[in-house]
Amino acid sequence: MSLKTNAAAPRASERESARRIYFTLAAIIGGVVSVYFVLVPVLKLNLAFHFYLMLWITMASAFNVASGFSGYMPFGYVAFYGVGAFTTAILVQKLHFPVLAALPFSGIAGVTLGLMFAPTLRLSGIYFAIVSLALAGICRLVITNLPEEVTGGSFGLHLGSRAEPVLSFYVMMCVMLLALGTILWLSRSRLGKALRAVRDDAEAADMMGVNVVRVRLYGWLIAAFFPALCGGVEAWYTNVVDTETAFNTLTTAKTVIYAVAGGLGTVTGPIVGAFTMVWLDELIWREFPRINMLILGIATVLLVLFLPRGLIGTLLRRRPQWRRYIP
Amino acid sequence: MSATKTTAAAIGVHGLHKRFGGLVALDGIELEARAAEVLGIIGVNGAGKTTLMNCICGIYRADRGSVSIGGRDMTGLTPHEIAHAGVGRTFQIPRVFRKMSLIDNLLVPVLDRNQTDRALIERAEAMLEQMRLIELRHNFAEELSGGQQKLLEMARMLMPEPKVVMLDEPFAGVHPTLCRFMIEQIEAIAAGGKTVLLISHDLTSIYRLSHRVAALNQGRVIAEGSVDEIRGNPAVVEAYLGA
Ligand SMILES: Nc1ncnc2c1ncn2[C@@H]1O[C@H](COP(=O)(O)OP(=O)(O)OP(=O)(O)O)[C@@H](O)[C@H]1O
Ligand SMILES: [Mg+2]
Repeated sequence: MSLKTNAAAPRASERESARRIYFTLAAIIGGVVSVYFVLVPVLKLNLAFHFYLMLWITMASAFNVASGFSGYMPFGYVAFYGVGAFTTAILVQKLHFPVLAALPFSGIAGVTLGLMFAPTLRLSGIYFAIVSLALAGICRLVITNLPEEVTGGSFGLHLGSRAEPVLSFYVMMCVMLLALGTILWLSRSRLGKALRAVRDDAEAADMMGVNVVRVRLYGWLIAAFFPALCGGVEAWYTNVVDTETAFNTLTTAKTVIYAVAGGLGTVTGPIVGAFTMVWLDELIWREFPRINMLILGIATVLLVLFLPRGLIGTLLRRRPQWRRYIP
Repeated sequence: MSATKTTAAAIGVHGLHKRFGGLVALDGIELEARAAEVLGIIGVNGAGKTTLMNCICGIYRADRGSVSIGGRDMTGLTPHEIAHAGVGRTFQIPRVFRKMSLIDNLLVPVLDRNQTDRALIERAEAMLEQMRLIELRHNFAEELSGGQQKLLEMARMLMPEPKVVMLDEPFAGVHPTLCRFMIEQIEAIAAGGKTVLLISHDLTSIYRLSHRVAALNQGRVIAEGSVDEIRGNPAVVEAYLGA
């Protein structure tokens, strides 16, 4: 017995210092990211570029909850984004909601859609991915076929409110910080551990007392909430939504690529991935405007070939002892 | 529900049937384990041992029959409900949570406990120390050897302090030194008053550890009794040699 307590004390202090490093790192990263984005309008940096950078960080981070934490590949992830965009647009344009009052409903719409898709969570792997893609197609069709007075038809729906790029920029920043905070909490929470266990072996987790269906649902709803908010804020920022852009499969593709580039399953992975890839995209676009998609495609292929676990994922594979310190 | 026969046995299995397509895996199993008893289960490959365990913990749904734990009918409950009723298990081929640290692996069965994280982590560390895995506590479970994964599963099973534990081939693919260690652990578990269902091909260990033994063949219990009774039972000898 005495032997046990002797060994337990240093472990407790070691745990405490690991925790301190973890949260210090999280605070530093959160602080640097916040200060950087807060200063963008002040220093008159490229507002649009940074708005979308935050949007992609949020999208990739939320996607990480569905994939990195829960083990799903929702190829129709854009559905949440599109439905969120139309929710805000319709509430503002047709029902004359103030934008900030409309945005929460985008989140609610995303969660509602997530609940409707919840029966697909019993599928896995490629079957889930395909069904998710099909469901996104259905969402898009449904909205396309709503009366034109509601959705604006093929011309899209103009919000008609005054464009407020700086305010919407800061709201996007709040959404991003909320998403990152949620995922930081999730990664250390009991729900997060349950999700990872279910991801690794759902049957075994069930036999260990984990309520698999419930845990999966919670993770899924978190993953559905944030892209819907992103859609709403983006609709406000651009002042227009149409089905073509709101349900563009490229949105899902970019989300997946950015999340994978950084590394699934960590908090920092999707942030680093989105940062790197969005910057890379911008540089390539500036230098080679005509073949930017080609080069970006090649860069993606190279990345997946040489760093299949993404930047942070590869780092943590090389340095497993850092897993406890890096959020 | 009301008609099912329940007893105060720690594990009660009555008239359990399970088919896979045309194959009858369990053919009316009757089995009881008393509290604090080690019940060994032997039988040739494909006899239905693992299927029996899967039906008891609810991951397979039996076609007919009932399972009770501590006198409580478990029929129709989900695996996690059965786990919460105090049933833990290990697997023939280890099923650890591969991309989680050893500590986190141990926390999974106790996530809904009303205890502080700190208390649970300290318990997990003590458990890893007992299983001689403490140095590897921050590694991912996939980085363990097969034998170490078996130890991890054993620790994970014990974390929620189950009343009933089921061990599926704990000695398979395990080095003799580790085997001895496993046997000591199982003896300690039994001494702690838990009911143990022990499946193994290793008759020496089964005979050493079990209070009673049941022999399965083609989904039926062909013999049941004390170690001495089973050892001399002609039906058992024939099933083993005849296979
Ligand atoms: N999921 C399944 N699907 C179809 N058939 C199965 C399944 N699980 C088991 N079986 C069949 O049921 C029979 C009993 O299998 P079981 O795994 O219970 O045997 P066992 O006694 O554990 O054998 P072993 O000693 O080889 O582990 C076998 O014939 C097997 O093929
Ligand atoms: Mg078996």
